[in-house]
Amino acid sequence: MRRYLGYAIVIACLGMMGWAVSFGTLPPADFTFSNGDEIKTIDPAISTGQPEGRIIWALFEGLCRWHPETLEPIPGVAERWEVSEDKCTYTFFLRPEARWSDDTPVTAHDFHYSLRRFLHPATAAEYGKELWYVKNARRFTTRDVSVGDPVEIELHQQPEDALPFAEGIVLRGTLVNVDDHGDDRPIFTVEIDGRTQRFQRTDEGSTDDGVTACRMLTYDFDHVGIRAIDRQTLEIRLNHPVPYFVQLMGFYPFSPVNRRCVETHGYPGWTRPENLVSNGAFRLKFRRVRDRIRLVKSPTYWNRDQVQLETIDALAVKSTTTMLNLYMTGKVDWITSVPTEVVTDLMERDDFKPSPYLALYYYLINTQRPPLDDPRVRRALAMAVDRDEIVERVTRSGQVPAYSLVPEEISKYVDYTPPAFGGFDPDEARRLMAEAGYPDGRGCPRIEVLYNTHESHKAIAEVVQAQWKRHLGVDVTLNNQEWGAYLTSRRQGRYMIARAGWIGDYIDPNTFLDLFTSDNPQNQSGWSHDEYDRLMKAAQVEPDNQRRMELFHAAEVILLDELPMIPFYVYVSQSMVRPWVTGFYHNIQDVHPLWAIGIDESLREKLRPGSRGLRIEEARR
Amino acid sequence: MNGSTETIASVGTQQGVSLAKEAWRRLRKSWTATLALWTLVVLATLAVLTPLLPLQPPRRVETDRAFESPTLVGPEVPLLPSEATPDERDAALAEGFGRLDPLSELMLRTRANVFGGWSIPSIFGTDKLGRDILSRLFWGGRVSLTVGLVAALVSLVIGVTYGAVSAYAGGWVDNLMMRLVDVMYSVPFIFVVIFLITILNAEGIKEVLERDYGVNRMVIFFFLVGAIYWLTMARVVRGQVLSLRNEPFVEAARAMGAGHGRILLHHIVPNLWSVVIVYLTLTIPRVMLFEAFLSFLGLGVEPPDVSWGLLANEGIQAITPIRIDWWLVAYPGLALGVTLLALNFLGDGLRDALDPRMKNR
Amino acid sequence: MTAFFLRRALWLVLTLWIVFTVSFFLMRSVPGGPFSQERELEPQIAELIQERYRLDDPLWQQYLRELTAALRGDLGYSYRKPDFSNAEIISQGLPVSASLGIVALAFAVLLGLPAGIISAVRRGTLVDAGLMLAATVGIALPNFIIASVLIILLVFLIPVFPAGGWGSLNQLILPAFCLGAPYAAFIARLTRTGMLDVLSQDYIRTAYAKGLADRVVILRHALRLAMVPVVSFLGPAIAGILTGSLVIEQIFAIPGLGAHFVEAALMSDYTLAMAVVLLYTVLLYTMNFVVDLSYSLIDPRVRLE
Repeated sequence: MRRYLGYAIVIACLGMMGWAVSFGTLPPADFTFSNGDEIKTIDPAISTGQPEGRIIWALFEGLCRWHPETLEPIPGVAERWEVSEDKCTYTFFLRPEARWSDDTPVTAHDFHYSLRRFLHPATAAEYGKELWYVKNARRFTTRDVSVGDPVEIELHQQPEDALPFAEGIVLRGTLVNVDDHGDDRPIFTVEIDGRTQRFQRTDEGSTDDGVTACRMLTYDFDHVGIRAIDRQTLEIRLNHPVPYFVQLMGFYPFSPVNRRCVETHGYPGWTRPENLVSNGAFRLKFRRVRDRIRLVKSPTYWNRDQVQLETIDALAVKSTTTMLNLYMTGKVDWITSVPTEVVTDLMERDDFKPSPYLALYYYLINTQRPPLDDPRVRRALAMAVDRDEIVERVTRSGQVPAYSLVPEEISKYVDYTPPAFGGFDPDEARRLMAEAGYPDGRGCPRIEVLYNTHESHKAIAEVVQAQWKRHLGVDVTLNNQEWGAYLTSRRQGRYMIARAGWIGDYIDPNTFLDLFTSDNPQNQSGWSHDEYDRLMKAAQVEPDNQRRMELFHAAEVILLDELPMIPFYVYVSQSMVRPWVTGFYHNIQDVHPLWAIGIDESLREKLRPGSRGLRIEEARR
Repeated sequence: MNGSTETIASVGTQQGVSLAKEAWRRLRKSWTATLALWTLVVLATLAVLTPLLPLQPPRRVETDRAFESPTLVGPEVPLLPSEATPDERDAALAEGFGRLDPLSELMLRTRANVFGGWSIPSIFGTDKLGRDILSRLFWGGRVSLTVGLVAALVSLVIGVTYGAVSAYAGGWVDNLMMRLVDVMYSVPFIFVVIFLITILNAEGIKEVLERDYGVNRMVIFFFLVGAIYWLTMARVVRGQVLSLRNEPFVEAARAMGAGHGRILLHHIVPNLWSVVIVYLTLTIPRVMLFEAFLSFLGLGVEPPDVSWGLLANEGIQAITPIRIDWWLVAYPGLALGVTLLALNFLGDGLRDALDPRMKNR
Repeated sequence: MTAFFLRRALWLVLTLWIVFTVSFFLMRSVPGGPFSQERELEPQIAELIQERYRLDDPLWQQYLRELTAALRGDLGYSYRKPDFSNAEIISQGLPVSASLGIVALAFAVLLGLPAGIISAVRRGTLVDAGLMLAATVGIALPNFIIASVLIILLVFLIPVFPAGGWGSLNQLILPAFCLGAPYAAFIARLTRTGMLDVLSQDYIRTAYAKGLADRVVILRHALRLAMVPVVSFLGPAIAGILTGSLVIEQIFAIPGLGAHFVEAALMSDYTLAMAVVLLYTVLLYTMNFVVDLSYSLIDPRVRLE
């Protein structure tokens, strides 16, 4: 018995070893890039983040696309668009040849469905706010209804012939009464076709005396400014002019989703490779968590002739060191970021060209905490930061010192040149500190800088710590926290100075200046300025572009006078890409659509002499 | 009555003394253990006396000296501004060394008087912010060794108490307590540590702890790590106590009416020391490895404090095919390796010297 | 025997429940939540998200809901990777970690055992001293330092192995070696002491006296008993390899479970963190159990109680 058991154990061990070292073979992709961290989702509506964007832009195509070099909106599913006289109504004319991957046409109704799904309260889209420019969209998402409003009610029951994950029966009517009887789930009385009915939102489908249970009750989407006029025409009405609206419609969260696919499989089932129906240049072949996403060229994409790559691998690699290792050993053709330690060495290479993009690294100041409640102290701190030392010695990849909230680079794209607050001036900073009652930092409370745990934040904070100590005599302590804790501390105002960064969503000063209006949840500085708010509000609805920019400028002057934040530098994109990759341009949003990318085979052969080396590399992939 | 208890107790102690002498003799015979012991003595002395040594300030950021490879040429920057007011001197010292306890501060001042502005050149190179690796190694050693020692002591106290109580109580209490240890063996502790460190590090909690209890992250760290590594100790101590419980001198003490607490404290615990010392020397390296591991995850010692684990981790970040700054990894790795090697050898030597029977455990 | 199994099963359930409860409340007391991000959401949208994932219920309701789900074996969907259920994430990551762990363990045993035996047989020679020094160094260095030294040597200076990733045999060797090295060292030392102990015992002397060959005595008679400490070490070793792999997986960019383990905890991905921690608990418990069982296989004197 024991003897056989011994043999059995040996055989089991050998079997396990055999299993452990067996790998399937995977043919290499035409183009492999490292996509940063594992992406959260490929469902456009609930996605955020650059890695997600790269994949979703490859899988789906919105009304327009962004030109890979200039970022101008160029025709996507919509072949052209018109803007009304008052700049508030946009009409998109869809191209008839646009196809889903199941070969059905992409229609205006698909966009109507997708945008409705995006705005729907149950979707809880994180980018939801970006579409609140659309008439009544905000009320639809936030379920903000009052008596007299048109409302729609979704019941728990589904129509007879509905797909498994379709919406319940939808009723439309006018709200006549809200009875909230002290509960957080009020009873709504709605007049539908002349009859009144009472509804209450519930989790389950139960009904009791005279009250109908419903899944959702919100503002009627028929009264939201999104309308499919016919199969090829989509009309969107806005609350006020938004100069960048067309560009916004090319943003990946507004990509269309296939209704049939979503309603057949539900979320997350529909995002699976075997179920997914998409309309972009590529299709999803498979997805392995933390390993890779494989994309293959879509044969149904309308512009397929222009797409050069047949297969793409997007690797999920978090560490920049590992990324660089993969690039240097020939495993990947494009990495999106490099370790700061080697940036100076990389600067000499041809395949590394950092270029500024629309993102700012700054320190947020809690203006409620003494001594930071004194604008002179804030100004002194801002002036005692030697940004040149930070960008030349710490970050070292061509970051541009910033002296304003809106990155100066924006002036190349829109008619806006940001003001500046002065710059590095230790003498003036010392004078201001003395004026505030802290000559040479005497009597000044310790200042704590909060940052989320990360190598480069730490390095910068340590330099700033030394600079403030040197120039102002201020004692600075550093506090690093894990991501979640860091964000909570910021949100609850439990910090003095916090590291922050902001990536512009669209090319307009508003995406930055909006951060410091009083009602923006992002404004965690405790700073609130009436005139600033007024200017920002006026700029929002101003139809004349030049006047609009003037208003923004005035607002930023106020902000840089008060300094609830200290700008440090403008980020640079840190892509490293093989010289034989074509269609890859450095632009201000660091967006590099995969449908534009190709491989210059002849250059590749030329730059990689000795086909033997190449074969070894191919084999190792 | 009282006197005779003393006698019996002192018999136990005498036996301990002679055992210790014997063990010491045996330890001296093993050259590896002796070498290890001396290495550790030297390391510990250096760590204590670090502020006296003419090292560059470990925290002084000089970004233009980033990633300098090891050199024998001295730095241009003096330790202190030459014509400085006392205030400026204090400020410069605080910037370079951080806040120190009074003793270290005294040593630092002595050093400034003895060596003046001179300090050892960056013979081990500099890191990404131009800080001197040699100096950071020394200051990091203070932290790493303290973490190892204190956390191991914490684990020791918990383990010995738990094991002794469990074995002495016997019966269902013993059973339950040992089952609990079994349960804890199956808990992935790293997980718990990650959560606890994150919670205790949140601003509100951290401030309250520091202000009201004088507890900083380092202290929490000691206790957390100590609280994880007591399980084996508890088991071993229990085994030892079980066999001691029936020894004649314990029976005698009990017959004379000594209380449970007294028997445990005066008769049993003193007889555990051989086990305890061996396990202590073996726990310290494990704790130090754990600290390095947590530093790797970014949960260890907090900058601007340094530890060897943190230094090694920072070094690893800098290794790429573009440039191989080997000194960033090699020296912290070497420091960690030598210390742990010495501790392991000493632990082995002690085990062999104290109790040959324990070899297999 | 049956009673032994039953009792162990009962303790496993109890252990899991304790781990579940402690982890649940610990996770929930970490500031922030699965949806915190730098881009601050409109409060209304933040509410909708809480509602979508039912995080707005009272804590005890969430606890009961998740406990019942866990009892049914339903591990839920990841909050940070909602496209996947936790079961899928684990079923993708576990095989990777498992093959890494198995190969690492194979390295550990195949290097450790012979080294230990040779060392014991050649006691006091230079070979012995060299092997034991190597073993002690292996124990003394954190595996991330071993890994980085090997990367410098075998990836950059002499490019033999790829820098990282997963999917082929040569991507497996280096990480598995780094992971297994400290355990090989431990096993070598344990085997050596075990062998030395056994070799001095009477029945071995009898075996020699009977005129049996060295090889037979050592491999057939001595090794079995000398294995006891090694086997008892294997339980914690497997556990250590499992948790230790999270460092190696990060360094070599391997899509195993270890990385999920740390990241889910750091990012407050409640459900995934819980799923992984429960899985690890079961694995650790099973390993300890298997070790107890194996004692009785190796040493006939041991009885299961």
